[in-house]
Parts: sequence; C-alpha cells; structure tokens
Amino acid sequence: MRDTTTPDIGSLIEKDTIHSSLYTDREIFELECEKIFEGNWVYVAHESELPRNGDYLRRTMGTTPILVTKTAKGIHVVVNRCTHRGNLLCPAPRGRKKAFGCQYHGWVFGPDGELVEIPFPDGSENLDKSKLGLRTARVESYRGFVFASLNHDVDDLVTYLGHARQALDRASDLSPVGEILLSKTWIQHSFKANWKMISENEADGYHVNFVHDSFAKAITPEGKYENVIKEDEEGIGSVSRYLGNGHTEIDYEVSYGAPMKWLGVKEDRYPEYTKAMKERYGEEEANTIMRKGPPHTFIFPNLFLAETCFVVIQPISVNESINWHTPLYLQGVPDKLNQRILRQGEPAMGPSAFLTADDAVIAERQWNALDGAPGWLDLSRGADREIEKDDGVLQSHYTDETSNRGFWSHYKSVFA
Amino acid sequence: MSGIDEKEYRQICNFIFLECQLADEGRWEEWEELLAADMNYWVPINGEEADPNWDVSIINDNRSRLATRIRQLRTGTRHSQAPISVIRRMVSNIVMNEDDDGIVVVEGNFVAHEYQNQSTMMMNIWPGRVRYRLRRVKGSYEIVQKRVDLVMSTGKLPTLAFII
Repeated sequence: MRDTTTPDIGSLIEKDTIHSSLYTDREIFELECEKIFEGNWVYVAHESELPRNGDYLRRTMGTTPILVTKTAKGIHVVVNRCTHRGNLLCPAPRGRKKAFGCQYHGWVFGPDGELVEIPFPDGSENLDKSKLGLRTARVESYRGFVFASLNHDVDDLVTYLGHARQALDRASDLSPVGEILLSKTWIQHSFKANWKMISENEADGYHVNFVHDSFAKAITPEGKYENVIKEDEEGIGSVSRYLGNGHTEIDYEVSYGAPMKWLGVKEDRYPEYTKAMKERYGEEEANTIMRKGPPHTFIFPNLFLAETCFVVIQPISVNESINWHTPLYLQGVPDKLNQRILRQGEPAMGPSAFLTADDAVIAERQWNALDGAPGWLDLSRGADREIEKDDGVLQSHYTDETSNRGFWSHYKSVFA
Repeated sequence: MSGIDEKEYRQICNFIFLECQLADEGRWEEWEELLAADMNYWVPINGEEADPNWDVSIINDNRSRLATRIRQLRTGTRHSQAPISVIRRMVSNIVMNEDDDGIVVVEGNFVAHEYQNQSTMMMNIWPGRVRYRLRRVKGSYEIVQKRVDLVMSTGKLPTLAFII
C-alpha cells in the first residue's frame, strides 16, 4: 500500500551508484522488513538443529518473531505472537513441546499454528477458532537448510537459490554423509549499523587489505590470506561473483593448492575422514571437494556461509543489526576435525575476533558518517572488467564490486 | 582459603589489581609479562555448561593466539582499538584456594566501564565473574588461565576488542 510519502527506492539506486539514505532512512527499513524479510525467502534454521519431532527454535524473520517447529508432518514456521492480545507466545530460545500455551490468557496453539484450545470456552463460544491460528510461513529446505517466506506466493526455493545452491552443496559435500551440523551455541555480535552494511561486506574483497591489515601484520599469512593480502593487485587470484537474486560470493578456491589447506592442515591429518570421503565420492571427486574447501557465500538477505563459520544476519532497526555465528560443523567426521573447524572460526568471527571486530567498527563509523549527511556512494569498481560466464554468473577480480552491484540490482527489483 | 595466609592473600590481590590496571591502560607488553607459557584466555558464553571443544567461545586463546591478539593490538591499525578504549574496571568479592597441584585458584566479581571511543561513542558496561589460575613463580605469580564469564554473554554483545 504505497502513498505519496513512501520513498521511491528505485530512484536511489543506479547501476554503479547508490544513495546513502538506503542505509539510514527509517521508512526504508520498515519497507525492507515488509518486502524483503516478509515478502520472500529468508533463511531460518538448519534441520540438524531440530533432530526430533516436537523440537522448536525461536528465531526471527526480519523483526517478526517466529517459531520453527518440527512435527511428523515436517517443519513448520509460525509467527511467535499470540493471535489474541499479541503476547510473545514462546519466550524460550529452543526446546521441545507438543503445544504452545500463551502465558497471558492461556490460549493454546499447535506447532503448526492451529489454535487448539481457549480456556473457559463458554464465553468464547462464538469465536471461530479456525480463523485465529498463528500466521504461518511457506517452508522449504535444501540440503537441510530451511528457508521460510511469509508471502506464500513466491518461486520455489530452488529457483530462488539459483546458482547459490552450489554453495549449500559445497558446504554439505565436505561431510562424508553430505550434511552439515549446527550446535546449540551461537554468539550474537551487535553492530550499530544497518544490516546491508554487513550483508555487502561479506563478499567485498576490496576491504580486506585495509580493514584487516592489522591482522595481516600480526600473523604469518597462510592459506587464503597468502593470496589476498598483497600490495600487488595482479597477484590476487581469488574472485568475486554475483550469483543472481542478491546472492554474492568470494571464491578462495584458487588459493587452496592442496586438499585440506582450507583448514590449515596437511591432507593426511585426518585419515579416517579422507577414507570416508573417498568411499562416498570416489577418489577424484573427494580430492576436489577437499581441495576447494567451504564456500564464502552470502545468500540474500540473511545467510552467510563464512567458510568454517555459519552466520545469520538479523536486522534490529535501521542502525542496529546482530551478526549471529556458530561453527559450521560437519556430520560424520572425527571430533578432532570439528574441533579444528571451531578453532579456525573462533578468531575470525564475533565481538572479539581478529576480523569481525574491525568490520563492526568500520560499519558503525560508516553509518554515523552517512546519517544526517546524505550523498551518493560509488560502486563502480571493476564494472569494465567483469565477465559474464556461460551460466549467467558475473565474475571479476577479488577486489571488484561486482558482487555488491548485483546485490543492489536485486534489491532494486524487490521494490520495483 | 587453604594453603594461603593473610600475607599471600594480599600479595595475590595486588597481583590481580595490577593485571587489571595493565589491561585497562593497554600496557600490553607489561601485561604479557604476567602470563604463563601455557596460558589460556577464555571468555565462554554458556557459563558452567560450556564445553570449550564444542561450544563456540567469545575468546578461547592459547598463548600463541593471545600473542597474535596482542601483536594485532600493537599494530596501531586494529580499528576496533584504535584509539584504544578508555577503561576502568573494579574487581571485588575475591576468594581464593589452592588446588592439589599447588595452583592458586582466584575468583571474583568485576565490572569494566568502557568508553567505546572508536565508533559508537557509548559507555559499555561489562560485568561478570573472573577466575584466575595462578602458578607461584619466584616470589610472584604467572597466570595459567584467565576465565571471564560475562553476565550478558548469551545475549547480544557489542564489539569487545580490548583485553577483558
């Protein structure tokens, strides 16, 4: 329902320039919650977090509280707000329940959102319970990654994911049983900045040499950093990509010369794992998977597969976002390998990390500098040298803004 | 407080107060001198249930990773600590015991007031419980473990790039 005061978002985005109010305008934030976080697919959970029927997780889609529940019928996503007086139905972050009773007036809902009981029914006998179920989302999953859309009239998930599907495969295929595994522990890092500043930063190779130069100086570069922390632009082989539908990627594959280099270990470090991988995929494919390593891919609007970390971006307000992270564990691997994944990711992500702590402060300075001093921002880098591959994916130099130009072209299409 | 007399209690408190002051003031070189070669610096998020080998921690540094952390702080371009935060912390309710290996286990409550002067310009308040494992060396101590359980560790946290 647009009126004349609604910001004209299309006019704020050109091919290689965007207007700063996209990050700072409160009305635009409200529109994003409606059109992006309630209007299309949003990542909500991984199936490994809901192993048994009755398990539930409290999550959000944008600013809307939701519950992800599992029953014999499958996974459901319902709005976590009682339809009577709007109380938060379930305050616990996770658990196991057959039904959810509201603590305010005792209304009881099933895990699929059905209103099953109203206490003291005589006074409510004219109420049509079938119309007072919780609002439900459409739910689909791919390789155990569960997405939901409060708008039921959207393309199927596989179409939405498009080329980004390969990133979910790439992460899952690192497991000899083809599945990742998430633990119960998440760290929440608050950025006093707009959610898009985090989203764009995920596949921005350009900032790495500058925001993270203190890390480069403090470590002996190895693995991927060997390749990307350089003064010599031509020496960087990693690439940036726009995958379509707002999904972006940086690919470090070129910097991983041997299997397991992504984990900073020799290829024979976990013989049990190597054996299981070769049994599942065959020698050649297993070696390719173990050499390519995990993805560094952002899936619009809120999922970031950050190599050994699993990241979800939660918008809180126009100038606050939470970067949630947990290790991207693999199922069916030796404990030692998952521990290595944990140790590898811990210093990269979170409030005290060698990397994200600096990203947060830069995003906060950027937000403060834009608020109240609006202007146009440049996104042109690499526009003349990016290439379109046969499958339609745009690819360019690691430091090029191909990824974020794509992000914004998709964003613009959401509001068109 | 088995194995620790009044005089040593005071000596250990002074050691802890010095550790806090050096961390507050970003005197990292002097701070590092207090650490054991097998130091573990741990900021978990699950309290007593935390399994450091499965649950992700806010910080879980061995000595070598902690050395990297300090080197990064000293580059001058660690943006989240450039300039360094202005910090003052209080430690109190200190209790201590000696364990079977002769390690002195010290626990106390603390609160750090951080003026975050890099970006948000906000006063961050960091309350929690701190636990040290101290080894007696040459009339003083070295820190074998510093464990910090933040009161709000399971909730959202602002950037925490200084030594807590």
